[in-house]
Order: sequence, then structure tokens, then C-alpha cells
Amino acid sequence: MNSRERFLAVLAGETPDMVPVVPVLDGYFAPKLIGRRNDDCWADGNCLAEALAAAQRQFDHDGVVAEMGLGPDPDVLGCRVEIEGNQVPLVVETLVEDAGDLAKIPIPDPWRDGKMEPVRRLAEQVGREAAILGSVRSPFEYAATVRGLAGFFADFYRDPEFAHQLIAACLPATLAVGKALVRAGADAIVIKDSFASTSMISPAHYREFAYPAEAEAIAALKETAPVILHICRNSLPILPEMARTGAAALEIDSPVDLEQARQAVDGKVVLKGNIDAVAVMEKGSPADVERAVKVAMAAAKAGGRFILSTGDSIPAGAPLENVAALVEFGRAYGKY
Amino acid sequence: MEGDADQAARLGGEITAADLSADSILSTLSAAMEEVGARYETGEYFIPEMLRSAAAVEAALQVLDPFLFERRADQAGVVVIGTVRGDVHNIGKNIIVSALRAGGYKVYDLGVNVSAAKFAAKVGEVDADLLLLSAFTTSTKQSLLDVISALEAAGLRDRVKVVSGGAAHSPELAREVGVDAFAGDVKSTLAVCRELMGGS
Repeated sequence: MNSRERFLAVLAGETPDMVPVVPVLDGYFAPKLIGRRNDDCWADGNCLAEALAAAQRQFDHDGVVAEMGLGPDPDVLGCRVEIEGNQVPLVVETLVEDAGDLAKIPIPDPWRDGKMEPVRRLAEQVGREAAILGSVRSPFEYAATVRGLAGFFADFYRDPEFAHQLIAACLPATLAVGKALVRAGADAIVIKDSFASTSMISPAHYREFAYPAEAEAIAALKETAPVILHICRNSLPILPEMARTGAAALEIDSPVDLEQARQAVDGKVVLKGNIDAVAVMEKGSPADVERAVKVAMAAAKAGGRFILSTGDSIPAGAPLENVAALVEFGRAYGKY
Repeated sequence: MEGDADQAARLGGEITAADLSADSILSTLSAAMEEVGARYETGEYFIPEMLRSAAAVEAALQVLDPFLFERRADQAGVVVIGTVRGDVHNIGKNIIVSALRAGGYKVYDLGVNVSAAKFAAKVGEVDADLLLLSAFTTSTKQSLLDVISALEAAGLRDRVKVVSGGAAHSPELAREVGVDAFAGDVKSTLAVCRELMGGS
């Protein structure tokens, strides 16, 4: 089995030869591998494609996450973005204030201006050996982005009907970008729904606002490719619902205990996670990585429904040897 | 605390008609915001609920404001606050702003993605007692260092106490960048501010 086959086997419900190792190694960490700064790569998808391919060659992980900077307008639907210094792109001007602005939300044409070209190029370089995971925002996350998070959260109480309309208006964007990613060569789609975390909103609000849009997006996209649902920080109280969205896998962040997560989903869906990206990958040593990998394998490896990953993006400051250790110990302890 | 802004504003109007002291009004609002912070810590409240409560406090304060200044001789302190350059997260900051206003502070909120020069200029202009820096993302360490440098260059560093806070922060980072204190949530921010102002 090569890396890509191993990854796709798990998503198809088959037991692979070993646990795939697919860390969230993206635009935060990869640029330094080709001697570039983060803002170089966030402004230029081809730079990021080159960095991600270099990372895969260096660490030999089983899948590459194609996100940030590789998508259209780095995925923010026409909101004004600034990239300043070596920092993440900032949305400095939102698009939607009230229902009258809903028509302003564009349905992106991701192939316009060659913005999917870097994804295609990445897939061409590494896509035969390693899986490509195309990453797109959920309708809920797009809604929070075009509205501004504080205004969006305030709408839950002030005008819930508007919040629902806004999320519905963002669904076509998620579908358009997701389908474009697959056309460009992605083997799976990661739907990011970071603001739906129960570190931010209540389980009741998740069920009311985020879940229906996730389920709708996944139903439409899984015809094209298997879908992984990513919710960072705490998601334990909502894992049973997340499992019901139709996602092939759930990406679990480090605050969630993997053993409890497995029980919460009753072993029915693949879990991807959840090595602590900061405490272990950035601040820890290779020995810490080894310990964390052993714990994760003990909790979730049995039964074949597990992908070893970091809980969230590997920070720019993480040492190279920790990423190498993640793959090395993932292989060592991941054999079936 | 239940976060109803309209009701808070109406009650605010009623309170202004009654003969309540500014201190008692503010201590009630401040206690309510501390309770909201505590409910967040215990998982009973989430960010939308905190925002709703903060909006209610703001609505009440807007009605009460002129009366509070008539009835209260001294403010708890003068605060300049903002989210540092390179970061546009405003939710935590906005909740802290409401909690500080409810706590009787005069607050100048500079918004998000604020330059070091702008922080330093405002601190000088309003003769701030406290400068609160919000930084959510991990990439904002340099921005914090820049603010400290700007205060030093303007000769203001020993005239203002600097507090940093935000999700990506830790007491260790606060020490590294040279701020006076770190505060991780609503309750500790109010406590740290009280302490730095020489209260108990």
C-alpha cells in the first residue's frame, strides 16, 4: 500500500496495513522548508504548493493538506484581506451587515485567475504517492467570516432568522470550492468549522446553526469525494451529531480525549487526531512526540478507523525533528 | 446578566430616576460581568452568551453614563485597550471593555490591529493608568514587543502599567515581552487591574 491507498482505505472503511499519518502541516509550517516566509506563501499559492510538496518529500507523511493561499481570495469571499509582516492574512473588512447585504456574497469561481492552479500543481507533484486533502470553510465559518464573528454570534440571539439566512447564503461557496478542489486533484475534502467548536458556542447553538449546514454540505460533497469534518478545540459534547453529518472522518483536536471521542461516536466513524500542535509539536521534544503517539494509538488504533494527525495546524516554530518523529513513531506503533 | 439589552437599558433609565449611588450601580454591573465570566469558565455560558451580556451592560451604561459621572467623583482608573497589530480578534477584548466600564474605569478602546505608535500616543494623550493589550494569535509576540518599545521611546513606560491577555498567551510570554501582568479571563483581568491601581 502506498500512502494515498492507505489513507483512502481507511476512509472507505477498510483496515490498512498501518495507521496513516496525516498531520495538519500547512501554510504555517511548510514555507520554512523552502527558505520562504509565511507571508510569501500566503500571497502566492505556487510558493505554498512548492513548500507543501517539499514537506511531503522530506517527512513522507501520507497526506498533504491543501489550504490557505491555495484557495480563492484565500477563501474569504471578497472580504478585504491584508497580509502584513510574517503573519497570517487578516480579514480587515467584512461584507455583510444585514439581510440587504446577503446578495453581496459571491459564489466563487475557484478556477478564475488561476487560483486552483497551485492545487493542481501540488496534486501533480505528490498526488500519486500521497493523498491530497482539499480544505474548505463550512457555510457556518464562511458566514462568520463575511459577517464578522462578534456580529454573527450576536445574531444568534438578536436575529436568529438572519443568521440562518446568512449561513444558507454561504452554502454555495462551500460547495463550489469543495468541488473545485476535487477537480484540481484532491482525494478528500476537509470542511473546516472552527467556530462551531463547543469552546466557542453551546451544543444547542451548534445543533441549531452549524450542524444543519454541515450535514447539507457533506451530503452534496460526498458524492464527489469523502469528507472530513474539522472542528478544533473542544468538540466532545457534539461528537455524536458530528458523526451523523455523513462525514467519513472527524478531525479531533487535542483538548478532546481520543478514548472518550471513540466512545462518543461508538466506533462508527474514522477519527483523525489529535497530537497537541503546540504543547507537543512546538514546545515538546521527539521523546514527547513518541509518548503522545503511543497514547493516541492505544486509544484509537484498534479496528482500523484511525488517522494519526496533529489536532490543529503545526505552528511555524515547531522543530523539524518533531515532525519527523511524528511520522517515524506513527509508522513504528501504527502497524496492523 | 441574562443579556437582555433592551431590558437593561430600561432598567438603567429607572435607576437614574431613583436615588442610587454610582458605586452601588457600578458594583452591581461589575458583579454581573464577573458572574458572566465565571459561568463561561464553568461551561455554562459560551461566547455568544458573554457577548449578549456585554451588550446589555453597554446598553445600561449608555443610559447611565451622565448620571454616573455626576454622582461619582473619581473613576477607578483610565484604561487604554486594543488588539495588537497583526490580530483582528475583538470578542475577548470587547467583553473586557464592558467589564471594565461596569467596574467604573474610563476606557479608551482603540479597536483591532492597532499599531504600537497608536497605543503609545493614546496613553500619552489621556494619561492612562493602564494599557491592556489583547493578542489572540501566536504570531503577535513581536507586536507586543513593539508596543513596549514605543512606550519606552515616548518616555511613558514607567507611567503606565501594561497588561496582556488573549487565547494564545501565557504568563511566560507576558514575562518574556516585558509587560507588568498577564490576565487570562474576565475575572483575573478585573483583579489584576484593581491590584495595579493599588486596590485590594
